[in-house]
Amino acid sequence: MNRPVKDHEILAAVFAKMDVFGLAIAAGVLGALGLSVATAVLLLQSVPESYPVGPHLSALADYLPGYSVSWGGVLVGAGYGFLTGAVAGFAGAVYWNLAHYVALGVMLISSAELAD
Amino acid sequence: MGNYQNMQAANRNANGVNLKLLDAAIRFNAMMLGLTGGTVAAVVVYFATQTSMVRWGEDSGNFLGLLAVFFPGYSVTSGGAWIGAFWAFVYAGVFSWLSYRLYGRVLGTRISEVLLSTTPTENPVLKPSIMRLHGMSLGVAIGTMAGVGLFCSTAWLVVRGTADESVHAALLSNYIPGYSVSIVGGLIGAVQLFVFAFVACLLLAAVYNKIVEIRHKSV
Repeated sequence: MNRPVKDHEILAAVFAKMDVFGLAIAAGVLGALGLSVATAVLLLQSVPESYPVGPHLSALADYLPGYSVSWGGVLVGAGYGFLTGAVAGFAGAVYWNLAHYVALGVMLISSAELAD
Repeated sequence: MGNYQNMQAANRNANGVNLKLLDAAIRFNAMMLGLTGGTVAAVVVYFATQTSMVRWGEDSGNFLGLLAVFFPGYSVTSGGAWIGAFWAFVYAGVFSWLSYRLYGRVLGTRISEVLLSTTPTENPVLKPSIMRLHGMSLGVAIGTMAGVGLFCSTAWLVVRGTADESVHAALLSNYIPGYSVSIVGGLIGAVQLFVFAFVACLLLAAVYNKIVEIRHKSV
């Protein structure tokens, strides 16, 4: 886009709202992909027989019941990754919007006081 | 009024873009993202510590306790949870703040591309538009910060003389070939992490923007 940006567009960009649902789903998809790929990468690496596969990533089972570094765990991990990412995305977007409303409120009060 | 117009003209570049307003916009949103990132990270560390204590009692903290390497004073205790929250707020806050500064710099005068609609609303402040994400700029910003973060973390382990004992950090080589807890390994890791984060950001932005378009078709 080569046309010059107008002042009202800059202002609109500052106070633009995050789509809470959109960010939750997008972060969820990323989380699902991240944990399932992280699990699959360990499974695809050659490990000597009787040697534990991914003992450290397996420790996630302490927080995510049912998860393990196995092909079944790839699917379970995808589910948990989606859930975790979606919660993080939801919280981030809600907080972002809320912080803007609060900042805006403070600005309006300050400008009203200045006008007085 | 004449002085006001002169001042306005002085703030604009050759294309008529109000650079001062643009810079203020980037600084404001960088602060907002710093607050958001810092707060979310602080809450996560606080509750992860508390959960660990409730679930495992005295045995808790085997892995979470490793955070003390980067969070001075942190431990998996009630008091430690607050210290962890503080450091998480500082680190994530600074990371997020710098990320947005970089995002804004890369985005520059293309800032209107993050708006779903560039049609002036009745009041852009009280009736805000919906934000879109600029994948490339986001990728450059988050990728750079992630790469720098990994390099600094690795360098810290080397400087404090515990590089050889950092077996958990060394496990990153499972995902980042060539990474090791050394300065060179940190550099190799930083470059690869930049690429991973860049791709992840492109995906995040693509999914988010698609959902926004579907949900706000009428805008």
